[in-house]
Amino acid sequence: MSESILKLSGVQKRFGGLQAVYPLDIDVAPHSIHALIGPNGAGKTTTVNMITGVYKVSGGTIEFDGKDITNMKTYKIARLGIGRTFQNIKVFPNMTLLENIMVGGHQLTKIGLVRGIFDLKGTVAEENMLREKAESLLDLLGMYDVRDHLMKNLPYGRQKISEIARAMMTDPKLILLDEPAAGLNPSERAELINVIRKAYNNGYTFFLIEHNMDVVMTLSDDITVLSFGKKIAAGKPKEIRNNDEVITAYLGRAYAKS
Amino acid sequence: MKKNRRLMYYIIAGIIVLLLPVIVRNEYWTVVFVRVIINMIVALGLNFITGLIGQMNLGTAGIYALGAYGSALLTNKTGCSPWLGLLFAAFLGLVIGVALGYPSLRLKGVYFSLTTIGFTMIVQIFLNNLTGLTGGSQGVQHIAPFTLFGMAIDTYVKSYYLYLIFALVALFIANRIVNSKWGRLFRSLRENSDAVEMMGVDIASVKIKAFCVCAVFGTIGGAMFAHFYRYISPATYTTDVSMNYVLMVLVGGIGSVPGTLVGAAIITILPELLRGLGEYYLITFYIIILAGILAFPNGWIDAGQRLITRIKSHNTVKQKGA
Ligand SMILES: Nc1ncnc2c1ncn2[C@@H]1O[C@H](COP(=O)(O)OP(=O)(O)OP(=O)(O)O)[C@@H](O)[C@H]1O
Ligand SMILES: [Mg+2]
Repeated sequence: MSESILKLSGVQKRFGGLQAVYPLDIDVAPHSIHALIGPNGAGKTTTVNMITGVYKVSGGTIEFDGKDITNMKTYKIARLGIGRTFQNIKVFPNMTLLENIMVGGHQLTKIGLVRGIFDLKGTVAEENMLREKAESLLDLLGMYDVRDHLMKNLPYGRQKISEIARAMMTDPKLILLDEPAAGLNPSERAELINVIRKAYNNGYTFFLIEHNMDVVMTLSDDITVLSFGKKIAAGKPKEIRNNDEVITAYLGRAYAKS
Repeated sequence: MKKNRRLMYYIIAGIIVLLLPVIVRNEYWTVVFVRVIINMIVALGLNFITGLIGQMNLGTAGIYALGAYGSALLTNKTGCSPWLGLLFAAFLGLVIGVALGYPSLRLKGVYFSLTTIGFTMIVQIFLNNLTGLTGGSQGVQHIAPFTLFGMAIDTYVKSYYLYLIFALVALFIANRIVNSKWGRLFRSLRENSDAVEMMGVDIASVKIKAFCVCAVFGTIGGAMFAHFYRYISPATYTTDVSMNYVLMVLVGGIGSVPGTLVGAAIITILPELLRGLGEYYLITFYIIILAGILAFPNGWIDAGQRLITRIKSHNTVKQKGA
């Protein structure tokens, strides 16, 4: 069955004596926003790191777009079409916003280092392609006007959104977002929701890790809940909101009955 | 207007560079200028690793030595043309690039620097002890000069002009790479390599490419040195030399091609200007360079530009006042 774009089957991770993730099944449907939520230390980032090949799995298999990607090298997984943002932001602070995004498209180009020295015409064409693509992404996400600013001079919220744009630049089939709303103020958070929505409407699929319930409940089609490395629930936002185990483990009363 | 003026500056600078040996008419300074040219080429190469990718490579002396010995020994032992020696040196550069590139993938920061120092020391030990091949501490003598259309490039002035052509080629290549998507990729590696890998980039292969470019520039510089001085010995290639190349990359303006050229010129010429100070000349040199790094954290070019804009705005204020 190739109903899901990403399929985790019995994926688990041990760090020495610590079982960070118990055997975990997740199915991400094509063109959807699938959220993975859970309290601190639940194993969410560890799961993303296994999907992207940063960590080797201790067991189980990961299938992406019909291919087994378990324990493949990170850059090869990325080439198959998985993009990612990081919980602790990883941008290029001393480069401009536009340059940050253009680096994302490096792998879409073909001219090698030696040929690039002499192929004046070809490099100009490639560079124009990269610039136009990056600019149209920035335009879509509302950051075109600040494209020539150094990344380190942009507000934190915009840096986080630029990480999403950089991931989109690789033409991924799936983007993993690790806590994109963490550290954002309410207006930045609203902008972020807007950005993810827009990207979703443009055909992108997201796997979203998030603590912020506004963001999760507003955006998600499906939710998986982890607690202490174990999946305690999975379903539609409505079902999760009304799941007793989830409420006690994580959500708190505020979201129980609204 | 502005573009025209800039073009004029370039033309004037070009004419000065072209006429330099004729203007100074002095063998000593012509040798210094030849050394500036060679150092510019080596530093342009190092700029890829230390300037753009940001890894402190203290192995330049070893790279340089292998280029010099490779070309000198091949020409001396086989009697072939120095041009073939140069080609061989470039090939050695590719090999060294791969050999240094791999450890750079695993070793970070100071551990990488120590490895490159170790590389230079190993090269020196081999050059000193493989007496049968390298002549040991005696070095290699009677190295043939380059020839061009049957003319031996055997004077300082002729060498200056031939090497100027080499430098222009190196400058063209370095400029193209630094200002391309590859230069951008190298800089992004310095900023955050995890993120780059997540863009689908095979970091190992990219870094090895950068090391190959760096080492080829270095070995070619070494070969140029050998066929210019026509005598080489292991004592020349110490870690001090590597340190000076790092300074060339740092002082002018990190990562930029003009910055590297200015850095190479400063680090090569300044000690000669200070020679009059006798035993104090080296310490004065290093104090000036250190003070420069502290005072102009963005490099001497940036400092110079600031000075010029300041003088300009000062002048316009004066004119308005008058
Ligand atoms: N490299 C590692 N080595 C050892 N233990 C680790 C490592 N990475 C994560 N862990 C442990 O695994 C558990 C899960 O961590 P993880 O970072 O996946 O949590 P998380 O759900 O992302 O939490 P948060 O919401 O705080 O980001 C934690 O107990 C953490 O200490
Ligand atoms: Mg986390």
